Amino acid sequence: MLIFITRRGATMVLTMIAVSMLLFAALEVNVENVAVKVLGPYSSQEQRQIWLENNGYFEPIYVRYATWLSNFVVGDFGESIRFRTDVADVLWPRLGNTAILAACVFAVVIPVSLLLGVLSGMREGSKLDRSISITSIVTTSIPEFASAPLLSAIFVFYLGLLPGTSGMASGFDPLQLILPALVLILYDFGYVARMTRASMAEVMTTNYIRTAVLKGLPYRRVIVRHALRNALIAPFTVIMLQINWLLSGVIVVEFFFAYKGFGALLLEASLNQDIYLIEACAMVAVFVAVMTQTLADIGYTYLNPRIRFS
Amino acid sequence: MAKKEIRDETGKRVHPYVPELCEQLRKGDCDRREFLRTATLLGVSSSAAYAMAGTILGEAPVKRAVAQETPKMGGTLRSAMRVQRMDDPATYDWAEMSNQTRAICEYMTVTGSDNVTRPYLAESWEASDDLKTWTFKLRRGIQWSNGDDFNADDVIHNFTRWLDPEVGSSNIGLFGGMIEQTADGGSRMRDGAIERVDDHTVRLHLSEAELAIPENLYNYPTIIVHRGFGVDYEADFASNPIGTGPYELSEFRVGEVCRLRKRGEYWGGEVFLDEIHYIDTGDDPSARVAALASGQVDHLYEVDISAIDLMERLPNAILHEAVTAQTGVARMRVSEPPFDNLKVRQAFVACMDHQKVLDIAYRGRGKIAENHHVSPIHPEYFQLPGMTRDVEKAKALLAEAGVQLPLRVKIDLGQAEAWHLGAMQEYKQQLEPAGIILDLNPLPGASYWDVWDKTPFGFTQWTHRPLGVMALNLGYKSGVPWNESGYSSAEFDAALAEASATLDVTERRAKMERVQKILQDDAVIAQPLWRSVFSATTDKVKGYELHPTFYHQFHKVWLDT
Repeated sequence: MLIFITRRGATMVLTMIAVSMLLFAALEVNVENVAVKVLGPYSSQEQRQIWLENNGYFEPIYVRYATWLSNFVVGDFGESIRFRTDVADVLWPRLGNTAILAACVFAVVIPVSLLLGVLSGMREGSKLDRSISITSIVTTSIPEFASAPLLSAIFVFYLGLLPGTSGMASGFDPLQLILPALVLILYDFGYVARMTRASMAEVMTTNYIRTAVLKGLPYRRVIVRHALRNALIAPFTVIMLQINWLLSGVIVVEFFFAYKGFGALLLEASLNQDIYLIEACAMVAVFVAVMTQTLADIGYTYLNPRIRFS
Repeated sequence: MAKKEIRDETGKRVHPYVPELCEQLRKGDCDRREFLRTATLLGVSSSAAYAMAGTILGEAPVKRAVAQETPKMGGTLRSAMRVQRMDDPATYDWAEMSNQTRAICEYMTVTGSDNVTRPYLAESWEASDDLKTWTFKLRRGIQWSNGDDFNADDVIHNFTRWLDPEVGSSNIGLFGGMIEQTADGGSRMRDGAIERVDDHTVRLHLSEAELAIPENLYNYPTIIVHRGFGVDYEADFASNPIGTGPYELSEFRVGEVCRLRKRGEYWGGEVFLDEIHYIDTGDDPSARVAALASGQVDHLYEVDISAIDLMERLPNAILHEAVTAQTGVARMRVSEPPFDNLKVRQAFVACMDHQKVLDIAYRGRGKIAENHHVSPIHPEYFQLPGMTRDVEKAKALLAEAGVQLPLRVKIDLGQAEAWHLGAMQEYKQQLEPAGIILDLNPLPGASYWDVWDKTPFGFTQWTHRPLGVMALNLGYKSGVPWNESGYSSAEFDAALAEASATLDVTERRAKMERVQKILQDDAVIAQPLWRSVFSATTDKVKGYELHPTFYHQFHKVWLDT
């Protein structure tokens, strides 16, 4: 296992270095462009030259990359053009906000979708299975850009129960989390539930479950002791991948509800061509993607003895 | 023989044009609004101007908008608006930036939503007969928030910064008569362009007549900052928010929130709100509407045209509308092919059906434009013969230009406003019958501003300006920083300078015929429409009027809570 983890760790580092090279090449090879972005379109040529010289942009590209990478590793991401402050001062709070939103979503999605998926998969074709399946398909089929205005129309404009935006301008307000979380939960729970159902249904058709049932074991015991562990291997991987989606794939929801999260930050950075912020956001997103994938692999290995022992 | 000076009952000199202006109002050559605007520009106080107009027109004394209820003190006005950078006010390029600063720092003059310019930090002003010398008397007894007295040095410092090309302020285009060219092709402020008469009087000496100096002094980057700004301390307003206004900065985070708090004594009288909070609800117009509907904010900076129906149906919400000279122009860079050929530009212009673009892209809420950037609401607007779409003429022009059809052209456009894309989608269809294929390249708002003055073909939005000559001086005069099309015409420059130096509205209007015609014939822009703009408040917000340029004037706004 230790060798496996070391190997996965090394792959992760290599992936991040490769991505950092691509990122650096895409954003910083054209030094004139960097100066324009930092100093603004009205800056003079002379100002740009002075800035480039002071910031080491006339060094060879590999030297610049090494400097950039070493600064990056110690948390010096540069200064944001849009926010006029250190990138780290914006990045970490935004990441924290997204983590709060993701935690709320997971707190509902994981138990609900696993429970519904297992119930559904236990008796394939039953009324309960059909009801859960249809609900899951319907909610997953509605994209966030449709469900967000729909829920907003109901809860904000029609019922007047919930705040329309989630900017938390006057401090943390749990009420403001409800709508963005609800949109994400509706979209995500059906997907995880469907995966769990499929996995559970497959396990329920295996020989060892049939044997256990024929042996006369209580049905509850068959499910809990024998079926569940194997049925949860596939959903575990899916859930780990949802972390990545919740980090940078929820731009629509954060934008619609003006939630100050990581996805919205990534969008703002891109729209404003905020080079250092784009670089930092991209690297964080890559880190989380690679890390969750690694954790998923390790967890999968742990849960599945066939892979562990091979 | 020297002209006899006319003085009012207080002994103050009255500009010699004022009696003539009264005569024009009497004869009906200018309307009441134009009379008020010009009289106040020439230094007549607004109350005196209103009284003169009332006397001449035989009206009962005008009842100015008097609040029906007694204003209540206190409360926090929460406004949904993008919170942007707040560094150097001279380089501001969005009205939102100036709004964040507007209640902290102030202007020499203030133009109301009625288009009348009144004194502000300047107590009064006088123009010489030839409009080349402007004397501003500054108010006494105003203190900066750091305790310094406001005086002539502050004003001189600001002019010096604005006219320094290194600062990069667009104000340089507004005060062209104060700059001179340098040997290396650059520019600088002319020696003696601004004179310190005494502690509270400054005099501007222009090389060419300029009518709109008081109005230019309320352009959004002409905020008067403290004399130490950029000299004694860094040119970063958020770090050094020293101002003369009634509020101080209490919290500021770009993209999130800007909070202003009332500070002690204010020279300008009572202000009612304790605090003003600008809350960034992002770029999605529906988020702003939802914020108002759920009571998270009391005021929306702007309501998108797509949301006005919803806003009108919302209980407790009031939709405010202003007819403006805000516009968007499909401008062609005259030095870049294929637009370096006049006939090609004329062909592009000939294909536009202005009314259809207005109806489809802006739901008809505005007026059609005529490709010369002077609006019917500008006092000097001259009505040229109407324009009709003529595809056959466009085809003939393209043939004369030797263009091989189909001609494929890309237009860059920002997506800051949804109607830009709608307008260009409609224009694309209108160009097709002439054999022109228009590829739309929508860019994020910020990205567009990187290319707006470089791209061969771009759709650029322009804000409202009270005089037609102002936008022309900023955007079409040869060599000015905002001349995005690279247009350069000595004939146009001369005609514009002449019109800009003409005080008499009737005469100026006559001179504008040539200015407008040259620009229209040179086909620099295809300009579809002038748009109305909208904002909204809850019904507890009192005393608010929507300014055509979205400038916030919250001094007399109060909350009925």
